[in-house]
Amino acid sequence: MAPLPLNALLDQVEESLKSDLIPVCIFNDEEIFRAEIERIFTRNWVFVAHESEIPGKGDFVLRRIGLESVIVSRDTDGNINVMSNHCRHRGTEVCQADRGNAAHFTCPYHGWTYRNNGDWAGAPHLKEAYGGKLDNKQWGLLHAPHVDSHQGLIFASLDRDAPPLKQYLGNAAWMLDAMIGLHPAGMRVAGAPERYRVRANWKTAAENFTGDVYHVDYLHRSNEQVQTAVGLQGSCEFGRSYEMGNGHNFVGHEWVKAIHPGYVFAGYPQSYIEQFELSGLDEAQLLMMRDKPPTVGTIFPNLSFIRVASFTKIDEPPAVMTSFRQWQPIGPAELEVWNWQLVWNFMSEADAEAVYKIGQFNFGSAGVFEQDDTVAWESIAKVGASRWWRREGKHFNFQQGHRSAVDQSPDPHWTGPGIHRTTGYGEHRQLAFYRHWLKVMRENGKR
Amino acid sequence: MDAVQLRETVTQFFAFEAMLLDEGRFDDWYSLLDDALVYEAPLRLATNKRADEMVAGAYRFADDKKIIRTRIDRIQTGNASAESPPSRTVRSVSSIYILGERDGVVAVSSTIIVYRQRANDPSGDTIHARRNDRLKFTPDGLRLCARTVILAEVSLSTPNLGIFL
Repeated sequence: MAPLPLNALLDQVEESLKSDLIPVCIFNDEEIFRAEIERIFTRNWVFVAHESEIPGKGDFVLRRIGLESVIVSRDTDGNINVMSNHCRHRGTEVCQADRGNAAHFTCPYHGWTYRNNGDWAGAPHLKEAYGGKLDNKQWGLLHAPHVDSHQGLIFASLDRDAPPLKQYLGNAAWMLDAMIGLHPAGMRVAGAPERYRVRANWKTAAENFTGDVYHVDYLHRSNEQVQTAVGLQGSCEFGRSYEMGNGHNFVGHEWVKAIHPGYVFAGYPQSYIEQFELSGLDEAQLLMMRDKPPTVGTIFPNLSFIRVASFTKIDEPPAVMTSFRQWQPIGPAELEVWNWQLVWNFMSEADAEAVYKIGQFNFGSAGVFEQDDTVAWESIAKVGASRWWRREGKHFNFQQGHRSAVDQSPDPHWTGPGIHRTTGYGEHRQLAFYRHWLKVMRENGKR
Repeated sequence: MDAVQLRETVTQFFAFEAMLLDEGRFDDWYSLLDDALVYEAPLRLATNKRADEMVAGAYRFADDKKIIRTRIDRIQTGNASAESPPSRTVRSVSSIYILGERDGVVAVSSTIIVYRQRANDPSGDTIHARRNDRLKFTPDGLRLCARTVILAEVSLSTPNLGIFL
């Protein structure tokens, strides 16, 4: 059986989505993956770093936008740059360190040198080789045409025609304002991002974090058994859906109902709540953050987060962890997890260390939750390559919305943006993610 | 104890530990841990200077003995997917270098290579690390008080650290 051309695959997805189904092929297909890299990752705004990772002049981190290696630097003038890591002379990587501080990047091959803002700065044997200086902009490192940040999160787009970041984030910006804007000093990265490779398609992880609350009490039941978690069976019942448009989807939990009416602001200690600055929140943000704050979410395409009160044991003090994570596409059946633990700038060092460790214990390469997610995701990519399933035209089932006995209609009382539902059932967020994926794959294919 | 005996005792301890973990005898392994155990893997990056590789205060895991107990209990529920079925592992400990001994505690640096074939994976992962340990002499033999696992990989190629190193 010859592989179907890309447009025929996308037609299949479009047809299947009408019945809330997804063809298995999109989870492991070379053609789809190549198109995603071109149409999604080189066109959309993609997260690259948190501002706190490059606080000082000359600080840099090495990052990825899809398959592109980029340097994110704070230059000597204090500006943030996102630049291709490849030398303009022959293409060798000018930086092979994950982070550091540098006034210049010098290519190891012939010694072409660039300032930390990307400007071409010099080369060996200048007069003999080139007769004099080259134009510092024309031969500078390739810059991402758009770089901007929101609530400390730096994003870049490689598309000259990209809309402004605020427009791209849309209602997700409103969500980040509520989550990170709780305190005027904001959040910072604890340590550095942790990385590990999972033999799964990047969309599988992104989909999970749109709000797959249905898997929590089954896949992660061992945590309830050993009391590193409690109440997982209510994950869907108390789940609250926030479908924000543009492929950005979140799910929260109504902890004030699931736990007790005083369990406000995700279970943050009273001493923190007193320090939160709530006057900047609108009515819906305040209601959401107080009673049913976002637990997980995915900002299209591949940035997700989790914020949840976590334990090393339920009889030990909990800590509300916040992890941002990025699902870096490596291949059709491989992703690299980047896991940043975030802490509040106003926290004491001791509290920051405690929340970091609890965060890593639950969500990280050795995390007692995340370990099990990785292996559930890996076998999805295996069937994604199945010629048998493809020939039979088989799909994955996202049909809870049609069949659930629970009322999942949009909450008419919701005054915030997007669609809000007062249940975690329904798989609406996952479908919204894939509908947006299809739209981007179509529209950017015409450009 | 002379140097040869010390080396023999330490080598036997590592070999025993490797066997217990390879055979899934977690409770027996747990009995080799000192109550004040510190068991951690610092986060490592590729940096231009070797001295900058370790990120201060950042870990893949930073466990005490109670957390190890919880991890073992979780594996033993049989419902921890990452280790159900349990990985088949082969641990090879070598390059054992005894740094010194003081007050009944011996400091040892060694290397470990773990071959891990997880569940029904067609092929396995290999985890390479240097381990900097402190082992304490007790009437019942050596006990592990501290282990710092320095992983070779900056980005792990095994999908999770569901096993002990």
